[in-house]
Amino acid sequence: MLAYKQRKQLVVGIGDLKLSSDTEDTIITYSLGSCIGLTLYDPINQVGGMIHCMLPLSKQDPEKARRNPYMFTDSGVQSMIQQLFDLGASRKNLIAKVAGGAKLLDAKGLFRIGERNYTVLRKVLWKNDILIAAEDVGESKSRTMVLDMATGKTYLRTARMEMEL
Amino acid sequence: MSRRQEILATLHTLPNIPPLVLEIRKMINDPDVSFRALAEKIKYDPGLTANILSMANSAYFGFSRGINSINQALVLMGTKRVFELVLASGVAPVINRPIRGYDLPSGVLWEHSVAVAVGTEELAKELRLNVPDYSFTAGLLHNIGKLALGTFVENEIELIHNMCREKKITFDAAERQVLGIDHAEVGGILLQNWNLPRHFVEIATYHHRPEDFREINLVLDLVHVADILSMMAGFGLGSDELNYRLSDVVTARLNIRGNQAEKIVANITIGVNNLKETFSSMKGE
Repeated sequence: MLAYKQRKQLVVGIGDLKLSSDTEDTIITYSLGSCIGLTLYDPINQVGGMIHCMLPLSKQDPEKARRNPYMFTDSGVQSMIQQLFDLGASRKNLIAKVAGGAKLLDAKGLFRIGERNYTVLRKVLWKNDILIAAEDVGESKSRTMVLDMATGKTYLRTARMEMEL
Repeated sequence: MSRRQEILATLHTLPNIPPLVLEIRKMINDPDVSFRALAEKIKYDPGLTANILSMANSAYFGFSRGINSINQALVLMGTKRVFELVLASGVAPVINRPIRGYDLPSGVLWEHSVAVAVGTEELAKELRLNVPDYSFTAGLLHNIGKLALGTFVENEIELIHNMCREKKITFDAAERQVLGIDHAEVGGILLQNWNLPRHFVEIATYHHRPEDFREINLVLDLVHVADILSMMAGFGLGSDELNYRLSDVVTARLNIRGNQAEKIVANITIGVNNLKETFSSMKGE
């Protein structure tokens, strides 16, 4: 007799990546502030993943980037895309959804980390010919993001609401 | 009775800091008390001893798991550092609770507090500033007011949110308008009730508006910035989200430049991860 298969929840920490090719999985990341969250999903091959990057550019600290490429948006997203290809995803199928990049009230200068994360993310996706299908970025929100591997749907939770992205 | 008075009247119902913590502080400040007597006092409480050794040996403090006794901790880390660990162990069970109103699940305020404590020290290091030895602890205690104000915030959360959005004011300013008091001031009052030194009270009270403080306090400035950077990194984000302002006066005073802010964000995250296993296993008294 087959054992009943439990749905598994993969939690993505800060500066972390989780990939899956199992339709039983959901992938979640909690409290994106200025960090940026990205889900990529290939509905045909049913592979996908989620990344939670903290800072825009790996050149800011190459040593930290070497130890953990997912900490930085440029190195993290590039590595994520490559690993999804290795899992069988196809570039033309990939659906990208983005959340996070929040800011303080009247943030300026050095402390616009969220905005810079988003700019770098767009650049990396553009270079890889991947379009953003949906996004909820900026403002002063805290966001929790969920990817359902069965449907490819991405959900978002903030202090005031829940919605599908 | 005003809302403010109503809130102030509830503060005495909050758990007190374990008396042992205050006894140990007294001993540390007394030049006539020997290391041996101090170690004996700490060892008397096995939970406290285990917590101190576990923190002392975490990657954050950098003794590479070489501290095996309280005596050794006192010698290698110094009494001030050990007292910070005593205080951390004493407040952990309280700060670890889930907090309604701010929507903080169990452990999240503690994680945020540790992030700010780490951030305060990292900022001082990065800016090459000499700071008083209470910096870490000040970071740890700055947000304790959320514990007491949570249930009041919960009842008025919609009004507070609307006020933030419509008037473009910070969450603590909206708390003051709706409740007559904010979590920072409540925190200051709690710390005063716990008989902790005046600087902890002042830092908690003014951590969201350091320019309103009548003096200039370097640790207050550092805690203010570390708090903001910790929230940006995602530590302790709750219903108040990122509805805060960074003080231009403080960033100018500290002269934070280039990519220092980003470096600190990264170091906070690494520091919290290094201490994580410690505080997830930290036991209550």
